[in-house]
Amino acid sequence: MVNAIKGVFISCDIPMAQYIINMNASVPASDKFIIHILDSTHMFVQPQVEQMIRSQIAKFREDNTYVKPN
Amino acid sequence: MPEVRIIAKNFMDMVASMPAMKLDKLYENGFICEAILRSLPPLGKKYVLQLLHIDVPVAAKLLEEWVLPDGYTKHRVAIDRLVQLRVFVEAVDRKNDKTYKLNPTFQKSLQQLLVHGGTLPREPMPSNITVRLPNLEDLEAYALQQWECFLLQLISSSLVEKPSNISSSLMKVFQRRLLSQRDKEAPKLTESGFQFLLMETNAQLWYIIREYISNSEERGVDAADLISFMLELSFHVIGEAYNINSLTDFQRSIIRDLADLGLVKLQQGRKESWFIPTKLATNLSVSLADSSSRKEGFVVVETNFRVYAYSTSRLHCEILRLFSKVEYQLPNLIVGAITKESLYNAFENGITAEQIISFLQQNAHPRVADRTPTVPENVTDQIRLWESDLNRVEMTEAYYYDEFPSRVCKLVSEMYLKVHVTLPENGTVCYGKTRRKCTWWLRPGYIHTYESIYAAKSRSKMQRPYGMVHLHPANVLWKTRKQKFALSFAPWKGNRWKKQWGHTLGHYSLLV
Repeated sequence: MVNAIKGVFISCDIPMAQYIINMNASVPASDKFIIHILDSTHMFVQPQVEQMIRSQIAKFREDNTYVKPN
Repeated sequence: MPEVRIIAKNFMDMVASMPAMKLDKLYENGFICEAILRSLPPLGKKYVLQLLHIDVPVAAKLLEEWVLPDGYTKHRVAIDRLVQLRVFVEAVDRKNDKTYKLNPTFQKSLQQLLVHGGTLPREPMPSNITVRLPNLEDLEAYALQQWECFLLQLISSSLVEKPSNISSSLMKVFQRRLLSQRDKEAPKLTESGFQFLLMETNAQLWYIIREYISNSEERGVDAADLISFMLELSFHVIGEAYNINSLTDFQRSIIRDLADLGLVKLQQGRKESWFIPTKLATNLSVSLADSSSRKEGFVVVETNFRVYAYSTSRLHCEILRLFSKVEYQLPNLIVGAITKESLYNAFENGITAEQIISFLQQNAHPRVADRTPTVPENVTDQIRLWESDLNRVEMTEAYYYDEFPSRVCKLVSEMYLKVHVTLPENGTVCYGKTRRKCTWWLRPGYIHTYESIYAAKSRSKMQRPYGMVHLHPANVLWKTRKQKFALSFAPWKGNRWKKQWGHTLGHYSLLV
């Protein structure tokens, strides 16, 4: 019988993919969310982490921005 | 970021969507027929004029003979438009051929218009009564000022509580789509509201008029009368005064709303009062494509991301504040800078980079308007890059199928594999994984992304991924009785997709 798993399919560029994989590795074993890594730009993750990934990426982006103090 | 766009639909599309009876009633007015004639594509105009005095139905084949073979698509477009507007009436004659005939009401009104010339139901008033008639520039300044005041109401009511002098019916038009109001907060601009502000004036005008007309149904005002009055108004001469007493009561109530918008100017003499149509009114019957009036631009964008706007209007300042950081405001100049934060703010509010760029290009100051490109490329590229920076990751809901039993997967290359799946919603991406002898081929037409498809080597022990199929309703082949949808896959031979269909081996049901 075929197995069907529900989740979220992520399509992004290579640096972001590595960031997500790194995020997955730093999280404790019970919380690991990547189900399959399909190739360097696509992966399949659990459905509930979508929001968490977005907020982490936004935070990462803001950490790397410098705003000149006015 | 969700792509919600408001489309400035042409007035004529709205007319076309009215029910048949109302449309026939509209066609009794000669001016409406003329306005509709103006809005038709050129071939359509030609057909109407040629069939104008013919009373018998004309065979469709005859019409097709008038066109050269490479103009056939234009012919089809014109005919479809004419049938949609009910100008052409389709019928089938004794030999079961399709025939077309002009709508009789339309035909009669247009014939009368041609023969007698268009006379407005009212004459301009004699100049001895109408003193203090504004000249054309004053009129245009007045129209612009009223329109800006109206739009400012839109912005400032979302920022500051200000007493409004615009009638409640017009405010309702706003609140319906552009403002969202929650119970204790001040009304806030919605995404469509922001996009509305960045549109061109003509497009904004049509949007408001369209909302006003659809709103009028709820207020009990007949949409057909409203449309006929507006189209009539668009044929009046700019700058000439017309007596208010020549309007019906219904039209008088509309005139007040139109004066608030800046379409007409109301003036009062000693005994009489009159209205003067402005340029905005006559623009009503002009189609979106050929907007000839180009008002003066005021924005200069420089390569160091600074924006200089030579304008005194508050509205322009507010619009620039939407996506740039306004630094100084001098008596005739607004200085600002396009920064990452200001753009991120704009993107969060639902404005897209394309809208910002097209706003800057359309409102470019005449000094820079001749230079190509109007807005420097580094600025436009950077705006687009910042927008795409927010969208680096795309996430879609998907289902993952694996462990296909090998019996099903032993396929010879010319075979199909048909998989029934139930689609919970449209467009789920499905990723398939197969065992080593597997054969899961995907037909090019059904694939939206197939960058990561690898051919399975039969001797390989590694389970290699096969690729993605976007399950879009367009891929549906048939519905079984139990409302299941089917997907089909076609063979891949070596490196190339085989383009022919084979016959099926069997099918397999998956229930999700």
